[in-house]
Amino acid sequence: MRRFTAALAAVLLIAASNALAQDPARIKIDAYTLPNGLRVQLVEDHSSQVVAVDLWYDVGARNEVAGRTGFAHLFEHMMFQGSKNLKKVEHSQLLERAGSSDANASTQYDITYYYATVPSNRLNLALWLEAERMRGLNVTAEGLKNQVDAVKEERRLRVDNQPYSRAIWEGTLAAFDAKSCFGYSHSLIGSMADLEAAKVEDVQSFFKTYYAPNNAVLTLVGDLNPAEAKQLIAEYFGGIPRQPTPPAVTCDQPFNPGALRQELKDDKATLPAVLALYRIPATSHADGPALDLLATILGQGESSRLNKVLARETKAALGTTVLVNPFGPRRGPGMFFGLAIANQGVTADSVEKLLVKEITQVAQTGVSAAELTKARNQYRAGKINERQRSLALAEAVQFANTYLGGPEAVNTDLDRYARVTVDDIRRVAATYLRSDNALTITIVPEKK
Amino acid sequence: MRPTLLTLALVAAAGTLSAQDFPTRPPAPMPVKAAQFPPFQEATLPNGLRLLVVENHKLPVISVQLAFPAGGTYDPNGKVGMADMVAGLLTKGAGKRTADEFSAAIEGIGGSISASADPDFMTIGANFLTADAEFGMGLMADAALHSSFAATEVELSRTQTLSALQLEQSQPEAIAARFFAKGLYGAHPYGRRPDPASVKAITQADLTAFQATRLRPSGALLVFAGDISLAKAKALATSAFAGWTGTAPATVAVTLPPARTATEILLVHRAGSVQSNILVGNLTWGPDDPRVYGARLANQVLGGGGDSRLFLILREQKGWTYGAYSGFTRYKGTGYFQASAEVRTDVTDSSLVELLNQVKRIGSETIATKEFEDAKSSLVGRFPLQVETSAQVAGQVTTARLLGLPGDYVQTYRQKLAAVTPAIARAAAKDGIKRDAALIVVVGDGGKIYEKLRAIAPVKIISVDGEPMTPSDFAVKALDVNAGALVARTDSFAVMLQGNAIGSQVARFEKVAGGWKYTETTAIAMAGLQQTTTLTFSDALEMQELHQTGMQGGQASKIDVIYAGGRAKGSATTPTQTGPKTIAVDAEMPKGAIDDNAIQPLIGTMKWAAGAKIPVAAFQGGKGTLTQFTFTVSGEEKVKVAAGEFDTWKVDLSGGEAPITMWVTKVNPRVVKIVPAGAPISLELVK
Repeated sequence: MRRFTAALAAVLLIAASNALAQDPARIKIDAYTLPNGLRVQLVEDHSSQVVAVDLWYDVGARNEVAGRTGFAHLFEHMMFQGSKNLKKVEHSQLLERAGSSDANASTQYDITYYYATVPSNRLNLALWLEAERMRGLNVTAEGLKNQVDAVKEERRLRVDNQPYSRAIWEGTLAAFDAKSCFGYSHSLIGSMADLEAAKVEDVQSFFKTYYAPNNAVLTLVGDLNPAEAKQLIAEYFGGIPRQPTPPAVTCDQPFNPGALRQELKDDKATLPAVLALYRIPATSHADGPALDLLATILGQGESSRLNKVLARETKAALGTTVLVNPFGPRRGPGMFFGLAIANQGVTADSVEKLLVKEITQVAQTGVSAAELTKARNQYRAGKINERQRSLALAEAVQFANTYLGGPEAVNTDLDRYARVTVDDIRRVAATYLRSDNALTITIVPEKK
Repeated sequence: MRPTLLTLALVAAAGTLSAQDFPTRPPAPMPVKAAQFPPFQEATLPNGLRLLVVENHKLPVISVQLAFPAGGTYDPNGKVGMADMVAGLLTKGAGKRTADEFSAAIEGIGGSISASADPDFMTIGANFLTADAEFGMGLMADAALHSSFAATEVELSRTQTLSALQLEQSQPEAIAARFFAKGLYGAHPYGRRPDPASVKAITQADLTAFQATRLRPSGALLVFAGDISLAKAKALATSAFAGWTGTAPATVAVTLPPARTATEILLVHRAGSVQSNILVGNLTWGPDDPRVYGARLANQVLGGGGDSRLFLILREQKGWTYGAYSGFTRYKGTGYFQASAEVRTDVTDSSLVELLNQVKRIGSETIATKEFEDAKSSLVGRFPLQVETSAQVAGQVTTARLLGLPGDYVQTYRQKLAAVTPAIARAAAKDGIKRDAALIVVVGDGGKIYEKLRAIAPVKIISVDGEPMTPSDFAVKALDVNAGALVARTDSFAVMLQGNAIGSQVARFEKVAGGWKYTETTAIAMAGLQQTTTLTFSDALEMQELHQTGMQGGQASKIDVIYAGGRAKGSATTPTQTGPKTIAVDAEMPKGAIDDNAIQPLIGTMKWAAGAKIPVAAFQGGKGTLTQFTFTVSGEEKVKVAAGEFDTWKVDLSGGEAPITMWVTKVNPRVVKIVPAGAPISLELVK
């Protein structure tokens, strides 16, 4: 099964931040565009004999329209089902025989991406495979039905069958207006009715619109010869025709529209839980790093504030976490939420009071310099460690390009975190973590 | 917008190229570059500590490994498990820091540090940013030289190790691995495994002494990878380890058992097992043997992955198993080959025969060109991905140095692999994979597989505890109850997690017309568990009926079984990962066999005494199988619970999915406390 989204692997326990790191050693990026609109970013790095091939399509759940939800993710499945010159299993098999072991894909609200790390003499294979499926897929009614079934199974396992999961996947969407911001207000996995209604022609038209060279960014990082790589890219991708620019996505979501409340019955949960969500600005916003660090201080790890107060001191909660945009970074408004699962015998109400108090009091009392330093160190070390792999660096370059205004921003991203002060933390808390900007979800166990 | 010269040039270039047809088949590999293994430097400090540096200034991060010849091989006899325990405790308090302070210190800089032991070596590994190098190395030196081995941490580690060992006794793959190692290596240190007695024998003084005698600079290897130079590494090591001296630790003399001359099966009887775990293998050679390259290729074809023969035949073609694999294990001393499969009981012999056929074929038949080239391309291609980061590079060099491989091993590995021909692979397989002098370990239900296995090779039978058995022991031994000892009673238990009550259990025995009725209600909200069990028995305590309903993790369960006429009949709906699953129950019930839910209620009727072993044949309705459980009285303890303080027998129940320890009162036997192995919860009598 393909990864649904990189960030939701351990949904309740591990919070993943979305901004990727910056490297103090400057990364040189060779960026250009093919005549058909395919944007290319090359980073030459001969410290190993591998190349990461990372292809981002500018399509995700936010591009979907009412009646056609779930298509972006369904597509990620379809991309492994064979194309003109390849049978169903060949894509993965050819990569494995070339020595690759990490080939996969992921769907988020803003993007869908496909990646593999290969030994550098098989760069041609990895590029050929991506070009082959960008040229066209084998979409048959039978293959489509298979993958709709696979997605339904995935939904059952990940959403319907896990306690508290529906609150995160679907409950949180109520923070976004379904009329003015449809893209972020519907489920990433989509409506099963929409998927069942999907016809081969719908899939082909979605493919034609979004899986076009002018809607994709190809990033290569590693042991490559730029001239040779450019020639291969031109040879394999150059002949794929450009398509009309896909329709723009708009999201006109006001902040602080007034407090929202929701009660969700959950037949998989046995203990009540509370999710306190606050709208935050797009990932590119200057307040992003302070919000990421605040999420770490509040809700990540044994010594985080929520764990100390709610789980250890008052024993009100069995577990707590804070997540920022668990379904990937955004070019539109995002979410910051705390989640606490009540201990046996503790009411949702009393957990809610403690949870909301811990989150909102930062606006008055701030955080200590020591807390900020530790969060910054963990963040920085984590990101730097990650970038030792070509693929992670390729994703950081893609991230910078999509969310921070251009690939070069990969060289300055981490500085944004280094500059965050305790005053910034208090200010962003006061700006966003307030009751009239909140959606509070109470999750009530329900017996079948 | 006006086109720039560059875009014009690109358009021209792209125009020419895109005029070509898109290739309809995948391109052939581009030429492999001269295999350049990343450079590294080596030095030796005055105190004998060897230093290895893999320089890579791409990112401001350093990873450090400190390895000692201090693996399980050096555990004293009778105290096997010591190296593992030392490794676990090195970072649980060291220098001036307690265990909590030590972990807070490394987390505070966003770094990590941990230690582990294998049969040959003990290794401490750490990661931190360049700017924190002095601080990080200080923590590493504290862990290596000044661990506290605080009594509370030692006992915690011992308890965890004992629980893990107890749990292993119920895991067929762990049981198989234990007897396989012992069968291959005999009394050689590689054949030893910790047991409860050896773990209990280890004292705090032993741990301190192990660190002092084996963690010496001479014989150790300190490896830096990342943003560091040799000079800086030397300076860091000299300052962090100032004053550290000592001669190299002693080596130990080891002897291998005599070479096996015929294939033999060791059957580990596990009554009621629905699957068999099969291991086939033999001792091979030292790590520097020239045949390793050919053997690596042969193994890739035989069982190295999802594209290999064992997997394709046993799983894809026959559907006998989820996976079947093979591999060579490399030690400082003699290593071994192993092929493995986990199969359904009824296809145990067919699977073993096929597995042996493939094992024989790989050494007797030359591999076809396409199959050979696919395997080689995967192995050779994979290598660059295995040395992508400086830490991975350091790992490869460290292994080569520790194992004493030739100086150019890492630089020439890829070419030597690429130079293997099908003939070389076959010759290496012939020497390294011995169909006709193999040890076969099968963990499974002897009653169902013994006769079939005998047709394949001579079979020796042992119990899960390693006691010799004969086929007559396969018959399940039923519980001998003392019906007169039963009295009507209600017991209330609390379910405890780390000192907090998280649930409850109420168990009631009552006399009804013509027999007894037992009702048990359990609720653990946190685990989403609710369950009501009703059992009925005749006056002579013969099983009559079981009815059980419950909810677990959001899924309903329901089991109904009627015990009559020597059979168990009914149906069982139990939760699984993919939703509730219902099976029809219809199985033979030997005389005296009980429902597994009746084990705890009938404790009052059992004949308890010091050292007693009480067999219980119990039917597991949820699985539809009969399983042999055994109670073993392992000690006497005073136990204090909410209901009071009691003189008890400490009793271990084995045979189920996870072993359970119970405390049973000596007078009027009743359970006062229950602890499942490896789980942090307990049931304690409240009243």
